[in-house]
Parts: sequence; C-alpha cells; structure tokens
Amino acid sequence: MRSFWSLLASVVGLATLLVQAKSSSGDSVLVLLDPSLKRDDFSIFFSGLEEKGYDLTFRSPKDEEPVVIKDDYPQFSHVIIFAPETKSFPKDITPQSLVDLLSKDTNLLLALSPKQTPLTSLASEFSLITPPPGTPLVSHFPERDTPATVIPVNVSHTSPILTPGLPPVWFSGVPFALGTNPLLVPILNAPPESFATDSLGDSDADVVIEASEKGGEGLWAGSQLGLVAGFQPAGGARATWVGGVELFSDEFATKEVSSGVKSGNEQFAADIASWTFQESLVLRVDSIDHHRLNETAPREHYTTNDQIVFTTHISRYNPKTSAWEPYSGIQDLQLEFTMLDPHIRTALPPVPGKPGAYSVTFRAPDRHGVFKFVVDHKRRGWTHLHSSTVIPLVPPRHDEYPRFLSAAWPYYTGAISTSIGFIIFSALWLGGSESKKGKGSKVE
Amino acid sequence: MAVAYSLPSDVSPATVTNTRSLLRIIALALISGAAIASRLFAVINFESIIHEFDPWFNYRATRVLASEGFYEFWNWFDPTAWYPLGRVVGGTIYPGLMATSGVIYNVLHALHLPVDIRNICVLLAPGFSALTAWSTYMFTKEMKDESAGLLAAAFIGIVPGYISRSVAGSYDNEAIAIFLLMFTFFCWIKALKTGSALFGTLAALFYFYMVAAWGGYAFITNMIPLHSLALILMGRYSSRLYVAYSSWYAIGTLASMQVPFVGFQPVRTSEHMAALGVFGLLQIVAFAELVRTHVSSKQFQSLLYASVIGMGILGAGAIIGLTYKGWIAPWTGRFYSLWDTGYAKIHIPIIASVSEHQPTAWPSFFMDLHSLVFLFPAGVVMCFRQLRDEHVFVIIYAVVASYFAGVMVRLMLTLTPVVCVAAAIAFSSLLDTYIEPTEPDVADDSSGKIAETAPAVDAASSGSSTAVSASSSTAKKTKKAPTAPPSVSAVAAAMTPSKKGEKPRGIFGLDTRFIVLLNAVGMLLFFVLHCTWVTSTAYSSPSVVLASQNPDGSQHIIDDFREAYYWLRQNTPENSVVMSWWDYGYQIAGMADRATLVDNNTWNNTHIATVGKAMSSSEEVAYPILRKHDVDYVLIIFGGLLGYSGDDINKFLWMVRIAQGVWPDEIQEPNYFTPKGEYKVDDMASPTMKNSLMYKMSYYRFPELFGTSQAIDRVRGQQIPKAGTTLDYLDEAFTSENWIVRIYQVKKEDILGRDLKSANAFAQGKKRKRTKPPVRRKATV
Repeated sequence: MRSFWSLLASVVGLATLLVQAKSSSGDSVLVLLDPSLKRDDFSIFFSGLEEKGYDLTFRSPKDEEPVVIKDDYPQFSHVIIFAPETKSFPKDITPQSLVDLLSKDTNLLLALSPKQTPLTSLASEFSLITPPPGTPLVSHFPERDTPATVIPVNVSHTSPILTPGLPPVWFSGVPFALGTNPLLVPILNAPPESFATDSLGDSDADVVIEASEKGGEGLWAGSQLGLVAGFQPAGGARATWVGGVELFSDEFATKEVSSGVKSGNEQFAADIASWTFQESLVLRVDSIDHHRLNETAPREHYTTNDQIVFTTHISRYNPKTSAWEPYSGIQDLQLEFTMLDPHIRTALPPVPGKPGAYSVTFRAPDRHGVFKFVVDHKRRGWTHLHSSTVIPLVPPRHDEYPRFLSAAWPYYTGAISTSIGFIIFSALWLGGSESKKGKGSKVE
Repeated sequence: MAVAYSLPSDVSPATVTNTRSLLRIIALALISGAAIASRLFAVINFESIIHEFDPWFNYRATRVLASEGFYEFWNWFDPTAWYPLGRVVGGTIYPGLMATSGVIYNVLHALHLPVDIRNICVLLAPGFSALTAWSTYMFTKEMKDESAGLLAAAFIGIVPGYISRSVAGSYDNEAIAIFLLMFTFFCWIKALKTGSALFGTLAALFYFYMVAAWGGYAFITNMIPLHSLALILMGRYSSRLYVAYSSWYAIGTLASMQVPFVGFQPVRTSEHMAALGVFGLLQIVAFAELVRTHVSSKQFQSLLYASVIGMGILGAGAIIGLTYKGWIAPWTGRFYSLWDTGYAKIHIPIIASVSEHQPTAWPSFFMDLHSLVFLFPAGVVMCFRQLRDEHVFVIIYAVVASYFAGVMVRLMLTLTPVVCVAAAIAFSSLLDTYIEPTEPDVADDSSGKIAETAPAVDAASSGSSTAVSASSSTAKKTKKAPTAPPSVSAVAAAMTPSKKGEKPRGIFGLDTRFIVLLNAVGMLLFFVLHCTWVTSTAYSSPSVVLASQNPDGSQHIIDDFREAYYWLRQNTPENSVVMSWWDYGYQIAGMADRATLVDNNTWNNTHIATVGKAMSSSEEVAYPILRKHDVDYVLIIFGGLLGYSGDDINKFLWMVRIAQGVWPDEIQEPNYFTPKGEYKVDDMASPTMKNSLMYKMSYYRFPELFGTSQAIDRVRGQQIPKAGTTLDYLDEAFTSENWIVRIYQVKKEDILGRDLKSANAFAQGKKRKRTKPPVRRKATV
C-alpha cells in the first residue's frame, strides 16, 4: 500500500515537473526574431524549448513592446536575439542594456551574422573579435553538394556542455577570434581548413591572400576561430554567442551530414540552450559551516592555532527533476584561509557518505588578524563558485596561556626560595627578639 | 619697630590658624571651581561631545569597558581597526584612563545615578584638573609655603598650556596624567624629605597609575633618577634618599610591569636604564657609607671611593654592552627626535607628519603661559637661594622640561606644571615682601642682617587678600622671635650680593607697596583675562564640529564631519571597510562604526604607506590595492570649497613621503611638484599629481559647482582647471554640505572581465577601437 502511495506521489510529481520549466533561473523567454526569419523555420528549436516548459514570447525588433527592462527590473529570465539583419534596435535594447540584463541575472543567447549590426560591436565587449563585415566562414572541405559557406563542423567531445558523441553539426555564418578573457567558454571551433573571406569563388584565392597580407591581420582561418562561444559574466548569468542563426534552423537540423547520419544540430542547439538558460552545469554553495574540532557551534572568532573544521555544502541543479541535489562530484575544490595573502591553501575533499558536503580540518595560523575562508572554484562551463566568510583570529585570552613553563623553573625556584628564606628569616628574627625582650624584661 | 600699617594684635593664635585653614580650603575650592568652569567653554559653545581624534578611541574603548567589563576589555581584539590586521587593543593601550572612567561609571551606577558614559568621559578632564590644582598646591607647599601653593594651584587651574589638553571633551590620557605626574612628584618630594617608605610606596603606586595612564610616564622614570643622581653628585646622599628611591623604584618597577603594554620594557629598553642604573649606584653608595661608618682608615676610604667609581663605570659598561648585544633595546626613533629635531623628518616621516610633534614656535610660549613666562626664571633662581633637596628637583625639572617643550609642541604640557610652581614661588615671594608691614629700622645697627638671604616667609597665606596676609604676618610675628629681621625684597636680595655697612634695605611707606602690589595684581588680572580669552577662542573647539561667524556675528556651526560619519553609519553595510588617511581612523571607528585600514594608533608604518601609495598613485595602480584590502569606501577631507586648511590635499605630501619610504621606486616626491618646484593644484600641476587618486577625488565635479565661472580652491587660492577630473574605478557616494568630507565607493570588478576604464567608456556609449585578433602564424603562400 505504502509503495503504491509513493508511486502515485512520484507520478504526480513527475506530471507536475513535466510542465515546469527546467531552468534554475526562471521560465520566461523573450525571442527577438527578425521579420526576415520565419518562426516556422526554427520550429524544432522553439518547440523543443516549449516542450521543456519555457514560456516563449516573440517580438519583432520593430515592436516597442514588451520591453526587456521595466523600472530597472528585467522582465524575462532569458532573452534570445535572432536578428541578423537588424541595424537598429528599439531603444530598450542597446548594447548597454544587454550588459545590464546580464548583470541582473538574465541569460542571453545571441546570434551574429556577417552583416554589421549593433551586436557586432557588443561582441567585442565580450572579448570576441569579429572579422571585417561581410566575411562569412568558408570551407571547401569536405567535398559536398552544399555551398561553401554551409559547413559541417565536428563537435568537440571534451566540452562538458555538449552531449557526448554528437555527430557533426551544420554551420553557416561568421567566425570570431577569441580574446584572452578567462570568462570565455569555447563551445564550437571552426574546422582547421576553413577561413573567413568575402569572396566565394575559387578564382579569387590570390586576392584573398593579398588582402590578408595588406590588412596586417593575416588570414582569418583555422581551428582557433570560434563559432559558438559561451560567456560567464561575474554574477552567474550566462551568455552564448553563435556565429550564425541558421544553426538553429529546421533545415540544418534535418539535413544529413553524411548518408544516413542526421546532423547533430537539434541536440547541439538544445544543449547550448540548456547551458545558456542555466539548466546544465549549474552549481551553488548551499551553506558554509565552521567550528572548532570537537565542537559543533560556530564561533564569532577563533584563537590562533585552533583546529578548525570547515565544511561547505554544494548542490547541483538537476534539470530533469527541477531540483537542487547535493553534489559531491568536485574533486579539485580548495579552501583558502586568507589575510591579504592565503596563509593556508588546502584541498577541500568531499566527505564520503555525506552527499554534497566538503570538509577539511586544519590548524589556524599562528598569526592574529581578520581572516577569510575563501572557496573559489572557477571551471569553464560550470557555475563559478565563490564564497568568502570573514572571521577574526584572535590571540589567546589572558587565561588561556599555559600556566607553568618548564623553561621558567629558574624563576620559580627564585621566587620559592626567596619566600622560604623570608619565612625562615622572620621566624628567626621574631624568635631572637623574643628572647631579647625576655632578657630586657629580666633586666628591668 | 616701625610698621607701615598696624595690624590687630588682639587676635588669638588659634583663631588665626583656624581662619587661615578655612580660607585656604575656600580658596582651593574656588580654584577648583574656576579650573572646572573655564574648561566648560567647549560644552557651552558647542555641546557635550568628544573632541578631536584620540579621544574618540578612548571613548570607544571606555564604552566597551563599561558595557562588557574589565576582562573583556583586557582581551579585546578589535577586528575593525587596521583591517585586515586587526588590533590587540588590550595589549596596546594604556588602560588607566578607561579604567578610571569605568570605575566612576560603576560607582555612580551603584549609587543609582544613571549617568551616561559619554558625559563621564567629557567631564573627566575638567574634574581631574581640579585634582591637579590640589596636587600642585601640595607640591608647591613643600617647596615654599601654603601661599605659594595656592598661587600655583590658581595658575595651573587656568593656565592655557594645560587647558589645551584638558577641556571638557578632550578625553585623552593627558587629562588624568598631569594630576598623576604632580602627585607622584609630591609623594617623591615628601618621601625624600621625611625618608618615609610610606610616601615612597605611595609615589610608586601613583607612578604605577601614571604608567597605566600615559606613555609620558618615562618622564617620571627619568626625572626621579636624575634628581637622585644630582643629589648624590652634590654629596647629599642620605638614608632618606636611599629609602625613598629604593622603595619607589622596587615597587614602582614591579607594578609598572603589570601593565600589558609596558611588560618587560622596564628591564629591556634604554629609556628605563637610567632608573635601574641609579638604583644600582645607590646600593653601592649605601654600602660604601655603611662601610665608612665602620672603618676609620683614611686609605681604606679612598680605596672604597675608587672601587665605588669603578663599579659604577663597570655597571654603565655592562648596560652599554647589553644594548650592543641586543638584550636591551636601543633608543627608539621617537626618542632620537627629541635630541635632533631634523631626525624624524628624514628617517620617520610618520612622526614628523604629526603637527604636535613639530618644534614649538616662540609665540606659543606666551600664548600658553602668558606672564608666567618671565616669572618662571625668577622662581627658578629663587630655588637656588635655599637649594634644599626639593629645590634641586624643581631646577632639574625646569631645565629638562624647558628643553623638551622647545623641541615638541605637545611637551609644553610637561613644562606647564613646573612653570606654575616656579612662578608661584617667585610671585608669592614678591607678595610676601610687599605685604609684610614691617619697615626697616634706620637706626638699627644690625643692618647687615637685613641683607642676609633670609628664608622667605614660611607661613604667609594667600596673597590675594591683604587681610589674610596681615593676619598671617601677625601670626608669624607671634611665633617667631621678635628680633627676626624684616623680610626684604627677595628679588633684590638675590640679585645684589650683601655687603656690610650698607644702608638698611626694605620698603618704606604704603605708597611703594601699593604701586608694586597694584602692578602685581594687575598682572594677575591680565593673566586671568588672557587665559579666559585663549581658552574660549583657541582651545575649546572640538574640531569635530567647526564654527564660523555669520555676517551678522552669530555663530554658524559647520557639522560636515558628523554628517558624513552618520551617513556612513546609516547607509553602508555594517561590514564595509572604509579607507581614509590615518588621522580620521579613530573618528570613523567611533562615529561611523565601520572598519578602517589605518588609524591614529600608528603602529604599522607599512600599512599606512600602503594607504599613502593608494592615495598617491593613479587609479589603475590604486584599484588592485583597494580590492586586495577589501576597501568598499574611500573617505577624504577636502577644504577647497570652504577654505578649511587642514584637508587631505595639504597633507598629501606626507602621504607621498611615507609611501616613498616603502616604495622608493614607484612613488617619488619630486613628481608631485611643478617643474619650478611648486606644489600646485591648478592647470600647472604635474601629471603625476593630476592623475593621483587623491587629486582626482578631491576635485571630482568641483568645477561644476561654479557653473560658468572659474573654479577656485579657497585653501590654496588656485584656479582649478575647468575640464575637471574623471573617475573610472570609484563612484562618488556622498559629499557633505560644505564639501569637507567626500566619500567614494569602490566599484566591483566589471562583470564582463574588462578593466573598468573601458567598461566605463562602453557604458557612456563610446565606440571602442576595433581590436585585432591575437597574432598567429602567417599563412605561407
């Protein structure tokens, strides 16, 4: 009977979960779609999102409503901008307001195009370096029946963002060079034989080389160019830049890369959307706990050389159940005990048997001051974990120092012998004077 | 015998004595009242508020003591001071002041008098000034007599040199320290006079209190040994000296080592070695005296003297050797700066940067002491006339304190008591001489006696009342032999050597007396006027609150400091860290209750230099320093709008110098001057100056205030360039009404990982220059 109830409960739970959004940060999505693009052309991608439970709102760049930020509050949890043609956005969507959205924990999925749009200049703020306008990515390999600008790209198998074992995806659009910003997360790189150029014909090869010599930038070519790149701003929001909007189209999703093998586009698009919308690889620090060894309650301050137990609990968001679950999978977590510089930097291993708990015991330095417990874990793709707890480390109280020191025995002996000597002296003196008094009285 | 005026002769001696003591008590009570009242200008003109900088810390510490008890106070670790180093407060302060207020607070509360701890702190200094007057009276009484004592008490009660440190609200260590200083000296003199171990012990106990209260205790630690040494060298060794010194030194040193901040210093540092050395010397001398009484052989005595001297030299050599070996800490920089006034400026700019460590300007002697300045040498000379043991003390004290007062402004405080004592001795001798009714007998043959340097009248009472003096003179006459020579002008006697066969000297008639006395009383009146004026205008400003005059003469209060501190207190997170120059650390901690990087307890030069570097570098250099120290707000003082000259731009060169001391490669003082070597803030200012964080923060948006007209800095009288300064890494958070305090918030790192300068440019809509991709292999053709 009991199992039946629990089964029923889980079925009901699942049913409610199915209609719930999978994202950890909300389910409202604004899609800014160019009039030149038809919504039906991206039906697989959008319906995939809707099936997950997202609430999509479509808006043309020409519309004034609905605004993305109202009264300084973002109105949507996620914003998708598929506007490769739009030269001028409405006044609520500017490069500045998009950065503002990111700082207010709204996720962005942005598509570039070979044309010069306001987004192109925004990309440079994200350390993405775009080639000159009108230079899409071109590759003549492998030989295929599509135009040279429609390229099958092999998917990296090491990125944690993507489903492993994806077949190549179709790409058409503009590449970008990646700057040195550590917040960038490369997701898809260009094939080694591809390059960016404005002339498609084979006959113009000499012109292309000449132009690249003149420009001083060299040829925009090779696997270092990015096609899809994620960005993790400080604060937890995520942004993804995609070189071309066609990546998400139904046409590419259904197109075969080789005979009988469907392209990976559908899954790839779903993967980067779920990463961008904070479904996958989302972590958080649930709690911080510290106390002295053999105690349980935290203290307002610790004494130098105390044995301190530091524990943190980390959860990972599970999009399947839309719930946070304790996560013990981080093997390289570190704890720093810092005052200006880290005085102690030690591994913070997961506690076996306690899911989500990471704990370490260490001896506090022999140095008083205001210290901080710092957990700083930044891995590409994963949510950056940062927690900092201020704790003063104080010298021992007046009654906490050792009472007797073996090194001080000379002083103890001195004090004791003087005391004993004084008593003996007093006794002798008093005794002697008594007898004198006695003599005196006798004389009197 | 002729008298200038007759005195009633039918008063019984007992009545005279009783009246005198009653009048003395009344006079002392009135002096105490005057001493307290003249210190209340600050409360009346402003309000009951803690003044200046250090008192704010003392006040804060006292609150901790009053609310959490002594043990918590003793173990208090303040995590908000010197962030992130923290400060072990219990072990780095002199707790005497706080303990005193704590005791008063608890006693009053035990009596069900719910007095606020702030009012106790504000009124502690005036209260103790009354005690100082009393202890000066006791001290001077030992030197001359009660009338001199009362004069000295009146002097010290209102003399500006002491008031400057003890007005109501000036809750600093000096507030109680001068009382302790005078009382310790009194006990010492008493012990020396009577050879009493009780008074020696009392001196030691008050010495302990002094050690617990003020770092200036080293003055006592060296004055008493110096006095003893002088007495030994003058051949005035006595068992009284031995008992007094030994009991004072043994008990006093052991007691002083109980203060955590002092600890083992009395046996480990050079400042305390004089006391130890004299103690050792006294033992040797005492032993020699003992031997001398038992041995009669002359040769043996000379041998003994040789060995005494030899042992003395050996002891001094041992101390030098220990210092050389590092067992005894050598003199500290502060001590060197006492001998070489240029020393601090070169080696320890942080000491030189404090205005009260500057050499004293001559006018301030008159300002602080008025007519006592020229009575003082006369009093010292009079001490030579009798030259008893205690007079030697006053002479040494006068010489040493005069020197120190000339070197450092703040040491005027230690000079003031001895000036009052010496001036009182001189003045009371003058009054004694001219009030004394007896006239010299022209026909008397014993005129030689008159010119003798007779001891001054020993039982004259207050010179302020002729009636009292008259009665006292009669009392004296009745007591002393009637043949006692009349007192002559003490000054005249001291100046001219006595010669036999000269005309009899003395004062004839009432007119001469009146002229001199009128003059003297007039001088006293002017002294009172001057003291009152100086106190009310110069020394009663809390410096937290400024006052100015409106055009109609009414007072206008400028309250920018408290406005800004309360803004910080109420608008910033409790754990935020405020960076400012160290002068304002205690005030921020006390009034705004926020963590500070550096404060007036300047124990860590490097940390102060770090702040100096941040202030004097460009934004790009300063920002990582600010972030590393978790600075949330930067507070600066800017007087350019109002003409408040004590602002940070005027202190800026000290920041540069102190920073240069630690980072000579990065900060160089000459870079902050114009090519002509001028310190300018207008468009002639050097680029380093213009890019420094301090300059930018001070003049940020300043020209906007002037609209189309030219912006003028009223402190430096220079025109500020119209373009103004830009700030990329800081945001203006608060500017007070008169722009005296400006607070800036440090921006967080950019969310896109850009540097804040380009992030700012982007936010303002500026186009970024197209970046080129990273250089890589060239395509081979």
